[in-house]
Amino acid sequence: MNRLGIEPVSEERITINVLDNPNGITVKFTGDIDMEDPSIILDPLFEKVHDGVLENNYKEVIADFRELNFLNSSGIKAVAKWIMKLSEVDDTQKYIIKIVHNKDITWQVTSLPTLTFLVPGAVQVE
Amino acid sequence: MSEKDIGKGYIELRFGPRWKYIACARSFIQNFLAISIVDQTKADKIAMAASELLENAVKYASGEDTHISVNVSPKTEKISVQVTNIATPESIKNLEKVYDKISRGNSLDAYVSQMKEAALRSDGKSQLGLARIRYETGGDLKMEIEKNVVKVSIDIG
Ligand SMILES: Nc1ncnc2c1ncn2[C@@H]1O[C@H](COP(=O)(O)OP(=O)(O)O)[C@@H](O)[C@H]1O
Ligand SMILES: [Mg+2]
Repeated sequence: MNRLGIEPVSEERITINVLDNPNGITVKFTGDIDMEDPSIILDPLFEKVHDGVLENNYKEVIADFRELNFLNSSGIKAVAKWIMKLSEVDDTQKYIIKIVHNKDITWQVTSLPTLTFLVPGAVQVE
Repeated sequence: MSEKDIGKGYIELRFGPRWKYIACARSFIQNFLAISIVDQTKADKIAMAASELLENAVKYASGEDTHISVNVSPKTEKISVQVTNIATPESIKNLEKVYDKISRGNSLDAYVSQMKEAALRSDGKSQLGLARIRYETGGDLKMEIEKNVVKVSIDIG
């Protein structure tokens, strides 16, 4: 478990764990997100993470995609929705989403950097 | 090399519209491309595109089965993926609308703008698949409509 008390999500071919890290919280994805409507699991999870991070004034969330083999466009939409929440947060509360990606997985190289264009300064990809 | 080896390679799949078959078709296409072309990054991109097109065919086709074909020119490694299905006039209208919007200008700008819009929607749709395919494959996305038959294809050079 983590400081925010967010339970892991495990559904079909995907497991998502929320873990503590020294600067905040890490959301780690393992498996495939290719169900018809991934927002059913992703939206509530990202909402909990976002609200918890603001409440505790953490400055960083690591989104670790390295073990995510596939993410469909409906899943990308859910991630974009999370990132766009940061456009409504005032400067004193802002946090950064650090996306960690796997260079050997093609979709991660082509998809994940595009997420930096949604809200200026909100996302870093490494 | 025999004549057969230099000809065009292809596979065709036809399946009943079940969501679970999409992952299976994606792996099959990925494996087919792994042995058909050298460029594995390209094979990955095409498998992603095929998967997005199949998702659409399963989500928006009316009744009929889903059909996908993948064609490979071995020498040039040119690939084309085509999905065919029957659709309602509403779906077709929407497809034309989205296609028009995302086919113009820079493909990254089109994709990012669809992402921003998607994040603000609350109707469960994302309207992101076609823009994603165009940007991430760098290919030529085409749409053909004849009465109620929809063909969406992507050519990757
Ligand atoms: N194979 C298809 N048959 C009928 N309509 C389609 C097909 N593919 C796409 N469409 C229409 O085009 C729209 C855009 O597709 P897409 O960009 O993949 O977004 P999404 O799948 O999130 O709706 C769909 O919402 C649908 O209305
Ligand atoms: Mg789609």
